[in-house]
Amino acid sequence: MARVYNWQIGRTMSYWYSENRPAKQFGAVFDINKCIACQTCTLACKTTWTSGRGQEYMFWNNVETKPFGSYPLGWDVQLLDRLGQQKWEGNVYTGQTVFEAAPGGERVMLSKRETIDYSYPNVGEDEIYGSVERGGSLALPQQMWMFYLARICNHCTYPACLAACSRSSIYKRPEDGIVVLDQSRCRGYQECVKACPYGKVYFNAATGTSEKCIACYPKIEQGIQPQCFVNCIGKIRLQGWVSTPDKAREDNPIDYLVHVRKIALPLYPQYGLEPNVYYVPPLHVSDRFLVQMFGPGAPAAVRAYRNAKEDKTLQGLFALFGSTERTIPRFKIAGDFALALDDAGKEFMRVPIYEPVYIRPAQDRLYQIMRSNTT
Amino acid sequence: MKKKFLLVLITITGISLLASCGGPLINAQQVIASRTDKELPREDPNSSLWDKVAEHPAKLMVQDVAEPKLAEPGVETIRVRAIHDGNWVVFRLEWEDKSRSLIPESGTGSDAAAVQFPVEPGANVPDAAMGEKGKGVRIWFWKSVWQDDIERAREGKGDRVVSLYPQGSTDHYPYQANESAREEMETRYAPARAAANPITAQSNPVQVVMAEGFGNLSPAPIQEGTGTGQWKDGRWRITIARPLNPGKGMDTLEAGMRSYVAFAVWDGAAGHTGSRKMRSGWIPLVVE
Ligand code: SF4
Ligand code: SF4
Repeated sequence: MARVYNWQIGRTMSYWYSENRPAKQFGAVFDINKCIACQTCTLACKTTWTSGRGQEYMFWNNVETKPFGSYPLGWDVQLLDRLGQQKWEGNVYTGQTVFEAAPGGERVMLSKRETIDYSYPNVGEDEIYGSVERGGSLALPQQMWMFYLARICNHCTYPACLAACSRSSIYKRPEDGIVVLDQSRCRGYQECVKACPYGKVYFNAATGTSEKCIACYPKIEQGIQPQCFVNCIGKIRLQGWVSTPDKAREDNPIDYLVHVRKIALPLYPQYGLEPNVYYVPPLHVSDRFLVQMFGPGAPAAVRAYRNAKEDKTLQGLFALFGSTERTIPRFKIAGDFALALDDAGKEFMRVPIYEPVYIRPAQDRLYQIMRSNTT
Repeated sequence: MKKKFLLVLITITGISLLASCGGPLINAQQVIASRTDKELPREDPNSSLWDKVAEHPAKLMVQDVAEPKLAEPGVETIRVRAIHDGNWVVFRLEWEDKSRSLIPESGTGSDAAAVQFPVEPGANVPDAAMGEKGKGVRIWFWKSVWQDDIERAREGKGDRVVSLYPQGSTDHYPYQANESAREEMETRYAPARAAANPITAQSNPVQVVMAEGFGNLSPAPIQEGTGTGQWKDGRWRITIARPLNPGKGMDTLEAGMRSYVAFAVWDGAAGHTGSRKMRSGWIPLVVE
């Protein structure tokens, strides 16, 4: 094992290979607060990539309800349980990662992945946490909560799938950090399937090989965002490039949300993979749950998000989500507009930060009738 | 002549008769490929020819050289017999396996076995665990799912998915929308096939592979091999056959030669795949 630096856990850690960061790293921000679980993203991916024999249960993109939903079954609680109680000290994770907790003879602490684990994609859907006590439904803030967690492969900086493959069939593209599984080389050992703590590699029983999200790299190569991003109904997603904290740029939308404002956080950073899909945590969920899922920065991220309406830059940047097919490498706020800029700083899109508001009087003077909201 | 006589003598002394009458001849020291003039039982693990040759009980150990290792032991002994006809040699392997695992799905593998040879026998023999850099091995690898694929196709039964989930139904596959584009679309949605991965195009239950250590297994330049397996009453009985001299880039065996052979077995139900296997060290091989 080599020693590598993982900024998400604030320390060096053990990894099967030495640190080798790509020229650019695929990154994304999902604003969970806006997700409506319409599953359009899931279908956009499914129809594009996984509609064949043997891919029936494969969801490279899936959306599950937290706290009770999970696909594959119990992917999160299973591993949290195996790892046992671990610790953050401030922003430094002093517990064990999945690499450090690997038992003798293993490269990674593995998860169970059996057919039955893929048999309940809708488990826990729309179920709330907690029960409503007498009058509880009237109390504010609401005691009960649930939220939707949209998930794709995190194109991790330290992928467990890649570390686990004894044939080195998985590689990280040096140009964009996308983690791909070489379909000509895989022999279906399923090490990656068990190693990915996020359950994002699937075994195809028809071909006998494992398959995973490819971040729609043919689109990325053309400067276009992946299918699940551009088809997102809730406009919760933005794809771009994430830097390490020391190289963060204020005008890079992903860097701005992840590093400058620290409003978007990695999923289970304590596993140690440095995952590159960042979530704006839901603002109505208990801090304890959020810290477990998104790390110690969660409460501050929620506060910053609550304050976003007073913050033109944040509001402008969120307005750019889902506004264009193109990847937005840079952005700028100009007056009441948010501008999407290309690498050379040239504007290719602008959106108003504030939606225009029209107020219609309750009475229609012309027809002499009262309007109601349903007309 | 004298040498040959000595060899026969050693061979005979190595053979100890099984105590119970009618049992096979056991040779605990080595695998002896006996010569026959009859037709080789390349795909017949139950041929009466097998009754006439000595059996080597090969001890298997967990693969614990390279990660990921096998944590729990699987099959600990396989019984090996071998016959050759001057052109091909056939190995018959027999082991206990309570469950017959054919098509792998999430969490399971396919029952499988392999016979391995050093490219260079003698003093230069590589590490028995997949060989070493510059000192390769050639492996004849039988996998039950490949045999099952062939049998299902022959019997007009469905594909692996139907076989695994006979009650399953799917609303629609895109290839159903356009019959003329069916093949192209089916391939497009089977990425390993589209990428010409050899494991998706096995027309033979035995694949010939080569390696120089762990992690670099690849198809051998010559794919000449065959075999068949039968599972009955909690026991696999399979054959793996290879030419003595397959050709360029391969290892060579010949009558009268001493070499080495090694074996490996995977238990699909226990999730054995890849390096999670039971394996032997090098066992002396005598080609009579
Ligand atoms: S999320 Fe899983 S599949 Fe994706 S790169 Fe990370 S370890 Fe690999
Ligand atoms: S398309 Fe967008 S809003 Fe709909 S489920 Fe997917 S992530 Fe959520």
